Amino acid sequence: MERIVGIDLGTTNSLIAFVDGETPRVIADPTSGDPLLPSVVAFLTNGQIEVGQEAKALLADQPLTTIQSVKRFMGLGMEHVNVEDRRRYRFADEGGVVRFALPGHPYTAPEVSAFILRALRDRAAVYLKEPINKVVITVPAYFNDSQRQATKDAGRLAGLEVVRLVNEPTAASLAYGLDKKEEGLIAVYDLGGGTFDISILRLHTGIFEVLSTNGDTRLGGDDIDQRIAERFLLVGLPEAVQHDPHVASSARRVAEQAKRALSDNDDTQLRLEVPEKKVSITRTLARKELEAAVDDIVARTLAPCRQALKDAGLEPREIDEVVMVGGSTRMPLVRRRVGEFFGRKPLTDLNPDEVVALGAAVQADTLAGRRKDMLLLDVVPLSLGIETMGGVMSRLIERNTTIPTSVKETYTTAVDDQTAVDIHVLQGERELVQDCRSLARFKVPIDPQPAGMPRIEVTFMIDANGILNVAALDMRTGRERSVEVKPSYGLTDEEIERLLEESIDFAEDDVTRRLIIEARTEADTLLHVTEKQLQQHAAFLQLGEEAKIRAVVAALKEAKEGEDYNRTRDLIEELGTTSAPFAQRIMDTSIGEALGGRELGRV
Amino acid sequence: MTTVAVLRCWRCAHEHSATLFCPRCSAVQPLPPQTDYFTVFGLPLRPAIDEAGLTQRYYDLSRRLHPDLYQAGTAEEKDASLKNTVLLNRAYRTLRDLITRGQYWLEMQGEALGKENNRVPPTLAALVFEVQEKLAEIRDARAAGDGEVDIATLTEIRADLDGQMQRLRTALVGNLEQWPEPSRSQELLVQLKRLLSEIAYLRTLLRDVEKESEVSWNA
Repeated sequence: MERIVGIDLGTTNSLIAFVDGETPRVIADPTSGDPLLPSVVAFLTNGQIEVGQEAKALLADQPLTTIQSVKRFMGLGMEHVNVEDRRRYRFADEGGVVRFALPGHPYTAPEVSAFILRALRDRAAVYLKEPINKVVITVPAYFNDSQRQATKDAGRLAGLEVVRLVNEPTAASLAYGLDKKEEGLIAVYDLGGGTFDISILRLHTGIFEVLSTNGDTRLGGDDIDQRIAERFLLVGLPEAVQHDPHVASSARRVAEQAKRALSDNDDTQLRLEVPEKKVSITRTLARKELEAAVDDIVARTLAPCRQALKDAGLEPREIDEVVMVGGSTRMPLVRRRVGEFFGRKPLTDLNPDEVVALGAAVQADTLAGRRKDMLLLDVVPLSLGIETMGGVMSRLIERNTTIPTSVKETYTTAVDDQTAVDIHVLQGERELVQDCRSLARFKVPIDPQPAGMPRIEVTFMIDANGILNVAALDMRTGRERSVEVKPSYGLTDEEIERLLEESIDFAEDDVTRRLIIEARTEADTLLHVTEKQLQQHAAFLQLGEEAKIRAVVAALKEAKEGEDYNRTRDLIEELGTTSAPFAQRIMDTSIGEALGGRELGRV
Repeated sequence: MTTVAVLRCWRCAHEHSATLFCPRCSAVQPLPPQTDYFTVFGLPLRPAIDEAGLTQRYYDLSRRLHPDLYQAGTAEEKDASLKNTVLLNRAYRTLRDLITRGQYWLEMQGEALGKENNRVPPTLAALVFEVQEKLAEIRDARAAGDGEVDIATLTEIRADLDGQMQRLRTALVGNLEQWPEPSRSQELLVQLKRLLSEIAYLRTLLRDVEKESEVSWNA
């Protein structure tokens, strides 16, 4: 069974994890030892692309072409981009899906995310010494269909098979080992860098049944940083300086550091220096001031909590355990507010940055068929419906319905010889189409017939990823009709294919990486065996033979660390040939021993 | 709705009636899509059910059927597991709730509540009139800038409606417990339809009151 790894593709940081025996583990960067990969991608003018720490280091110098928090733009259209976003980045205004104006050409959010996924994949491949093809990626529970689809597209663009999208709070509950609990009601409060989720789960001997979920996909630690920057650093500066990308970017960084410091200390120093804009600010910030300034942001998380409980038919006090996930839950203010709301102390034992990735690895293990004791029953976060006469949304699938689920609708035609039915799919809780999120438009072809004659049955299915699939059946002929999908804020299949072709350079890069890893793994195995034989069977060596073998071993050891996989392969071959007579002698002897030691005397 | 079609196991070709798992080789079998929700759970065709037992059965079946467990399986297994899970999830959602279960039973009897259930059920006419009047008063009072009395009156109305709902639910349980009773099915059907239509109307009314409460709280 091929290995499947778990990825937490976060707003601020991303992680990759696997299950080592029984224990889920996060794979750290081999050089720095840091398990977190900053979700930052920098596009340099020379065409080079940096990801992670290297990209983060470029934020201050080239804020416009260094994309941070790309997750906030997944599955969004240009009309969802706000003033703050426009100050921060330059967009290629082509309508439809968001495209960043970057050196070379415009990039969509899934393309930018694909760079992060590739970096994680390489990290895991090097660590595990095997190519990584299959992954589970986590998404905020409150992500809509377009945002989920965008995440899946990012995986595809990175050359990965996304076996499953798992909701972050649900993944976190898996990592907490709550399955050891027989029965119980759990609330998972997940406040990350850019998104907020609340999920209410019922546990029942290894079954994790999500009862309800709610959240805000544009609320998180980023908002807190922004508030600190505005309130304590930028205030008083001239408007133009405040909105200068360099100044704003530096201010956010200082704010973020201060926020972290204030989780452990009562006060901290703020220092913002941007000499070229004549900005030099130093001041002390007390935790009390910080809390007063951001209290309304934290309070905004409680309305979704209330709604999720109501949907589950529960009162806050009925919850047995509150699990905290996401870096922002390190803030004492957040812990206090959540504790007050549920009337109990939240669980904070696990590292809130790692818990989602660990849970993703656990679910990946289940999907790989390696364990059968846990089962997730997740829900669709938002109601799904279609546009009907007068711009009204007709709900087909209610929010918090357990997935996979499906519903069938029958359509006919209104005029003679109509050749297609247009279906507009929406997601949201409001009555009017204009207040819901447009997901996609479908065109179902129909053979020309008098009005009202055709009968087309359309099946709307939400799969275990929370993603919509549509199929149409002509009920008169029993024939499946193909459905033309036009996502409102996403990439069509053709666009993805085109992007994959365009990124052929990267694909080659990927293939190379894979070949290097494979060669390295093979070399390691051979070196290990050879070393063992040299030590255990030195008696079988002929004069000068060891020196010859050792010379090739040394060459191979050096080659395998490099990028030239062809040289590694050649040396593997050479080592095989050089040590073949020696190996043959060992082999003969062990056969001889097995035959009763008759050959032994000849050696 | 109750089909007794003979099906054949895709793996061992054993013939069986609609079932989730082959009785001989226990491979997962796709249920015919029109299978009724009681049969999905292996329950007799009776609308009164043990709710705790239903949940337990739902978990047990999910543990054997869920697509997550067949990720590495054959195409037949994957397909059957997905289709059955979709059906199981829908069946559970319908049967676990008293009201949706009642509505489903009504549909199984070939009857359905009209989607636009606009006529006020006669038994609720007086109550509806009273509540609407009070809601109108509250709106007027708020328009005049007097929001104080709102909450108390609204709480009172709500308690009243909740009481009515409880009464109807009890009556519904009573009705469902009497099925199947061939000699009185027509009488039971008429009563079931009336109860469900009253409940539907009361729900709309409760939603109106709730909306009004939210406005008052936020004011």
